[in-house]
Amino acid sequence: MSEAAFETPPYGGPPVNNHSLLELEMVSRVYGEEVEVYALRDVSLQIFPGDFMSIVGPSGSGKSTMLGLLGVLDLPTSGTIRIAGQDVSALDDPTRSKLRGDSIGFVFQQFHLIPHLTALGNVETALLYRDLRTKERHERAYDALDRLGLAERAHHRPVQMSGGEQQRVALARAIVTNPLVILADEPTGALDSVNAANVLEIFRRLESPERAVVMVTHDATVAGTARRQVTMRDGRIVADERRVEVAQ
Amino acid sequence: MSQLRDLIGVAWAGLKARKVRTLLIMLGPVIGVAAMVSAVGLTESAKGALQSQLAQLGTNLIIAQAGGTFGTQNPTFPVNAVQRVENVSTVTGAAATTNLSGVISLPIQGASSYYQAFPVPVRAADDNLPAVLQVPLLDGRWLNPSDSQLHQRSVVLGSGIARQYGYLPGEVRTILLNNTNFGVVGVLGPVALDPDLDNAAFVTQWAAKHILGTNGEPNELYIRAVPGTTQATTNAIPTAINLGGPDQVSTKIPSDVLQAAAQANKTLQQVALLAGLLALTVGGIGIANVMSISVIQRSAEIGIRRAVGHSRSKIGAQFLLESLFVGVLGGILGAVIGIGVVFAVSKLAGWVVVISYGDIPIWMGLALFVSVAAGLYPSIKAARLEPLETLRLG
Repeated sequence: MSEAAFETPPYGGPPVNNHSLLELEMVSRVYGEEVEVYALRDVSLQIFPGDFMSIVGPSGSGKSTMLGLLGVLDLPTSGTIRIAGQDVSALDDPTRSKLRGDSIGFVFQQFHLIPHLTALGNVETALLYRDLRTKERHERAYDALDRLGLAERAHHRPVQMSGGEQQRVALARAIVTNPLVILADEPTGALDSVNAANVLEIFRRLESPERAVVMVTHDATVAGTARRQVTMRDGRIVADERRVEVAQ
Repeated sequence: MSQLRDLIGVAWAGLKARKVRTLLIMLGPVIGVAAMVSAVGLTESAKGALQSQLAQLGTNLIIAQAGGTFGTQNPTFPVNAVQRVENVSTVTGAAATTNLSGVISLPIQGASSYYQAFPVPVRAADDNLPAVLQVPLLDGRWLNPSDSQLHQRSVVLGSGIARQYGYLPGEVRTILLNNTNFGVVGVLGPVALDPDLDNAAFVTQWAAKHILGTNGEPNELYIRAVPGTTQATTNAIPTAINLGGPDQVSTKIPSDVLQAAAQANKTLQQVALLAGLLALTVGGIGIANVMSISVIQRSAEIGIRRAVGHSRSKIGAQFLLESLFVGVLGGILGAVIGIGVVFAVSKLAGWVVVISYGDIPIWMGLALFVSVAAGLYPSIKAARLEPLETLRLG
C-alpha cells in the first residue's frame, strides 16, 4: 500500500495522519449493564503494512474481543478504532460493512463456509454487492482458488472437501478482495498437523509489504511463525515484541 | 442494478438450497390463491349457466293466481281478466289458464283407477299461451282459434305427461277426458319457469266450457311485462284485475327462484373466498414461523455474510426477498391449480368456463402481500443478528 493511497482514504473523512493500516486507541470493551465486565481495558495497538503478527494469551485474556474489534464486527465501548485512518465508530452500518468487506479478510477456526454453496460460490460471497459483472466475479473467485491449489475443487461443496481444503477455501475468500489486513482466528485449530503446516505455509506466502496478517492463537508453533507477537492478559496488552531475524 | 441482481441471486440460492422447506412454506399461498381462483371461477361458471338459462327464459314473466278468502273453493278471475291485465301499459302479452279440477284424464280406457288416485291436471288454455311463455312445441301444434270455431276436441300434452302416456312424436292418438275422446295435436316443450305445466293436459276454452262443463272463468294468468318493469307491473296487476280487492290476487315472478339460486352461488363464493383468505393467513403464519426458525438455523451464514461486508440492510433484504419469491411462486402455482380446477369441474358439469382473469392478479397480489408481511419480522431479526454472537470466535 503506498503512502499516497493513505493520504486519500477511499471512504472520505479526515486525512490520515499515520501509516498504520489498523489502529486501536485507548479502546475498552465492556459487557453487561448492571455488572460491568471489562473484556478490554484501554488498549492501544497499531498494525502496519508488512506486519506478520500473532496475538496470544490465555483464555479470557481478551483475544477474541480484540479480534472482533479489529475486524469491525463489534464496536468499542470507549476509544477509537481506525482503518486506514478512518474512525469506524463514526460510520453508518452500510459504510462500515463496505469498509470491512474491502479492508479485512477473515479466516475462522471452524472455516465458516456456507454449506449450500460450492467453493467458488463461497469465495464469490465476498465479491457480492460490488457492482462486478458475473463473469468478472467468477474469474476473480476462480483465480483466488487457483492460487491456493483448489481450481479443481471449485464446484465442490464444503461437505465434499477435507478440513484442510475447506480452510484453503476460507483463505481464498479472505484474499479475493485483496484486503489490507487478514485476520485469522486459530486458523490451524481444527486441522491435523500436516494440514496445519500447509495452512501456515500459505499464511507465510501471504506476507506482503502492503498487507498485514494477524493471527489469534493458543498454539505456540503458530505464534512462533509470526515476526511480531502481542501478548494479552486480563484485557490488556502486556507485551508487544518483534522478532529480529539475524542474517546468516 | 448489479447489486439487485446479486441480491436476487443470493435469495434464490437460499430457497433452492432448501427445496422441501421452500415447497412447504409455499403451500399457504398456493392453497389460498387456488381456493380463491377456483371459488370465483366455479361460482361464476355455475352462475353463467343459470344466467344463460335466465336470458333464454326472460325475467319478465309474471304468474297471477286467483286467491280468495279462507275456505273459498276454486277461486277464479273474471272472464275478462286478460283484457283487464292488458290495459296495464307495461304488459306485452297475457294468457289465461283454467284448472279443470273435476276432469279425469285417461290415456286409455281401463286405466281409471290409477288416474283417479293420481289425477293428471287438465287446463283450459288461451291460444297464445306458448307465445307468452316463450316455449316452443316439442311436437305438432298448439291449440288455435279454429279448434274452437270448428268445435274440435283437441288436446295438447305437457312434456311430462306426454312421456308418462308414452306418446310418440307424430303419433295419431286420442286420450279420454271425462270419457270423451280428445285428439292429441301437439306436445308443449318443457316450461322451466313453471314446471307444473309439464304435467298438465291443455284444451281450448271452448271445449272446457261446452264439452267439459266449466264456467270458463280463469284462475291463473301468465303475463309478460316490458323488460325492466317486471316488479312495477307485478305491483299493478292486482289493482288492474280488481276483484273484490287486491288481496284476491297473488302474484309471483318465477325467474326470482333462479335469481335466488344465483344469489345463493354468490354466498357460496363469499364463503369459499373467506376460506381462501383463511388459508392465506394461516400460510402467512407458517411462513413467519419457518422463516424465523430458518434465521436461527442460518445464523452462522448471516455472520459469515456480515464478516465479508454485507450490510444489515442487505441481510434483511435477502430474507425478505426469499419471502417475496415464496409469495410470487406460490401465487402463480395457486392460480394455475385454481384455473385447472375450474376447467375440470366445468367440463364435468357441462358449464361454460368463466374465469375472472382480471381478479387473479388481485389474489396473487394478496398472496404476495401476506408472504412479504410474514417475512418482515424474520428479516428484521436476521438483520439485527450480531455477527460476533454467531461466529463463535476464539
